[in-house]
Amino acid sequence: MSEYTVVGQTVARVDAVEKVTGAAQYGADVHPPGMLYGKIVRSKHAHANIRSIDTSEAEKLPGVRAIITQDDVPSGRRVFATDKVLYLGEPLAAVAATDPDIAEEAAERIKIDYEVLPVVQDVIEAIKPSAPRLHGDDTKDGPNRREISGQIRKLSRDKENDHSDEMSKLEAELEAYPDEVYYNISAESHTEAGDVEKGFAESDVVVEDTYVIPRVHQTYMEPHVSVASADSSGKITVWASTQGPFAIRSGIAGTLGIPLTQINVIGTTMGGGFGGRFGVIITHVPAVLLSQKTGRPVRVQMTREEEFTDGRPAPGCVIKLKTGATNDGRILAREALAFWDSGSVSGASIGSTIRVRGVYKIPNLKVDAYGVHTNKSGTAAYRAPGAPQAIFAGESQLDEIAERIGMDPVKFRLMNMREEGDAVPAGGSEPKVGYKETLEAVADAAGWWDREADENQGWGVAVGDWTNGCGPGGVYVSVHEDGSARIFHGSMDITGTDTAISQIIAEILTVPYESVTIRRGDTDSAPYSTGSGGSVVTFTMGNTAKLAAEDAHQRILELASERLNTNVDDLELRDGAVHIVSAEQPKSISLGELAAYSLSTTGGPIVGKGSFARQASTPALAAQIAKVEVDPGTGRTRVLKLVASQDVGFAINPMAVEGQIEGGTVQGYAWAMMEEMQYGEEGNINPGFVDYRVPTSADLPTVESVIVEVPAPNGPYGAKGVGEPPITPTLATMANAVKDAIGIRVTELPIKPEKVVDALKSNGHGA
Amino acid sequence: MAKLPVSLTINGDEHDLLIEPRKTLLAVLRDTIGLTGTKEGCSTGDCGACTVIVDGKAVTSCMVLAVTASGKEITTIEGLASDGELHPVQQAFINTGGYQCGFCTPGFIMASKALIDENPDRTEEEFRHALGGNICRCTGYTKILEAVLEAAEEIRTTA
Repeated sequence: MSEYTVVGQTVARVDAVEKVTGAAQYGADVHPPGMLYGKIVRSKHAHANIRSIDTSEAEKLPGVRAIITQDDVPSGRRVFATDKVLYLGEPLAAVAATDPDIAEEAAERIKIDYEVLPVVQDVIEAIKPSAPRLHGDDTKDGPNRREISGQIRKLSRDKENDHSDEMSKLEAELEAYPDEVYYNISAESHTEAGDVEKGFAESDVVVEDTYVIPRVHQTYMEPHVSVASADSSGKITVWASTQGPFAIRSGIAGTLGIPLTQINVIGTTMGGGFGGRFGVIITHVPAVLLSQKTGRPVRVQMTREEEFTDGRPAPGCVIKLKTGATNDGRILAREALAFWDSGSVSGASIGSTIRVRGVYKIPNLKVDAYGVHTNKSGTAAYRAPGAPQAIFAGESQLDEIAERIGMDPVKFRLMNMREEGDAVPAGGSEPKVGYKETLEAVADAAGWWDREADENQGWGVAVGDWTNGCGPGGVYVSVHEDGSARIFHGSMDITGTDTAISQIIAEILTVPYESVTIRRGDTDSAPYSTGSGGSVVTFTMGNTAKLAAEDAHQRILELASERLNTNVDDLELRDGAVHIVSAEQPKSISLGELAAYSLSTTGGPIVGKGSFARQASTPALAAQIAKVEVDPGTGRTRVLKLVASQDVGFAINPMAVEGQIEGGTVQGYAWAMMEEMQYGEEGNINPGFVDYRVPTSADLPTVESVIVEVPAPNGPYGAKGVGEPPITPTLATMANAVKDAIGIRVTELPIKPEKVVDALKSNGHGA
Repeated sequence: MAKLPVSLTINGDEHDLLIEPRKTLLAVLRDTIGLTGTKEGCSTGDCGACTVIVDGKAVTSCMVLAVTASGKEITTIEGLASDGELHPVQQAFINTGGYQCGFCTPGFIMASKALIDENPDRTEEEFRHALGGNICRCTGYTKILEAVLEAAEEIRTTA
């Protein structure tokens, strides 16, 4: 690490002062003159035909400037529901008014005549022939009706060791229905490697269970918001709180059928995203339509309640998993059947079911996954989309196997982990990744090897893998006559990425971090940048920044060779100045002097350009250990210790990396222990922080983070994306710790106290 | 809706306003005065993003009708730094990395300031419980607690 002076060091973030003084401008802080307030009118039923929408009473309210429905969408692309709603909170119309309270009152005055239809909220109910069909198509080859493959049917009939009610219900239904068809299917995904039947036959121990993971909300603290302004020439400006301004630009253009160049998206400071802040329809398109209709800027801002009813949360799922291993600890086969709750539209991350393979040498693997329609809003990404769910199943079951064969859970994992060059089940060969190093690091840091536990205390371990994404980006860097440097780009800062980019530029230009500033452009001015999701930013924009700085570096040497009258090969940029390396008389010129020289001669401004598309990424591992204490009387689980390690490749800003590990781990803890979007006959029933509890500082101890650095060949300085991996193992870490504490395997999350008490009672441990 | 005269002292400045009785202090701060550093995270008093200090006490401004704050001294995040110097709580949040997206940060800083002013000698465990009304979704709270303890120490030793 010492070979670098700026990267690898903890520095204060570039946005530090604006974030602690309230100066940072988030979406709802934008207030152009004459701005109106928009409000979306939402369905009050989870499944209904719409007979009529009557806006007349609302129009009479003083201060109302526009009311729009699907009739006001010139392109005809679906923005508002017309004849049918598929979930509670689905948009039907929108209002713009001079005051937010007037807009809300007008929205309430719009009369909707509903014909209420039967509702289905559970994936296992939804695939049955008796279920209401959300999309109506019942033809044999219709898009939402799928034949069941023989293999899956066989798995679902394998009752041994499976005591789950969910699957028993499905089982009975399938027995009674010879058609072998699933209904309300939105998508499917199938993967097979080796021969699982053979693998199970050769196994000494086979464990099978069904895991139920709830739908949870990303719960970014800033609700969705956008401000749109359409001017008289037709030019549209949108201030958007989004992870991807360029995606919002193309999304609005596509939805409204207008050219890209007619839209400028200004990304505002983002109050958290976690994958949920890419959607274009949610607020951006209604804001644009209302502005077009009124000729005034319009802000559409969701309330927290609207976030829960019409956000795009992470899908829940039901995963039936079966694993076979030998008595000496070799995993031979794993088979999964998963039903993902996609809500009213397709889009659940069903492909992530493959993550049940983990980071292990599993010679025989079979994965079948289905997306299922229910009467809920659609879903979106949430921090390593799909991985926490699949890894919860995989890592929970691994502990069950370890227990059956009497092997330590850490040793069992270490023994089965893939090494460089090993085959990845259904996926090529393994690069060099610090799987074992990361697990060993967390075991050592947590004191696993000499762990102690009092009564009702237990320890749990789990690991989760994820690979950062990659995408195109562009960066310009300018060097000024005072020796400072300015970066210009179009990527949204996602909690520290602008800082990492600045550190990289400072490192290469050999200037102090403090003399580098960074400016984000809007989509009219900045080069294209991929969205800030999928842990891409440090990898993509870091590489892009490196290219830009190297380009500037080259230009600096050329100019210096002219100025110092020597060959480029004799020059070195160091400490913010160019030096002649081998001169008998040391000679140098500072970057500031060189920039001034270049401006006053024929050189021109010093500008470096970086343009990058993609390079192969390297997987990352997160490994976690929890020590818990369960109160058998109340069922409450208290975390005594939570240690999280992660192979980050290279930590460009260690404090920021720790922050990602700590934050992701706590989100995983919350999914395991408390969070669950609950649905009744009429949709989501816990749309607020009183009923949908997220953790506060009172719920947890300090999270101890451990950074492991096994460099990624294509990452900037070896860095990998760090944002997503830490959420992946925590669900299983917690379930495994609870199992160790009280002997109860919870397969249905969250592990709420009442569930623990019920399980203890049925095991004869009643309090 | 009829408006009522309201007199608010915000960060030392007096504002004489005519306000609809249904408007919250949060709405007036953000939409009428233009002080947008105070954030709206839930509108139900559950997340703490809108925390301001009213007559020395931390309150969630989304739960206060502006007319009831008439005549009171209100401090928002914009009023914390003085003479170009950050308040020790602000500086501590920077030093420890106690913020990420920053949306909850003004509320956390105001809540922390009020708690430290009241009693800087709380233990970590006591601060953890006292800050239970503020939600942060990014940090996992570890670095926020480091910030609060560092600020409390700074204020204790310089007071």
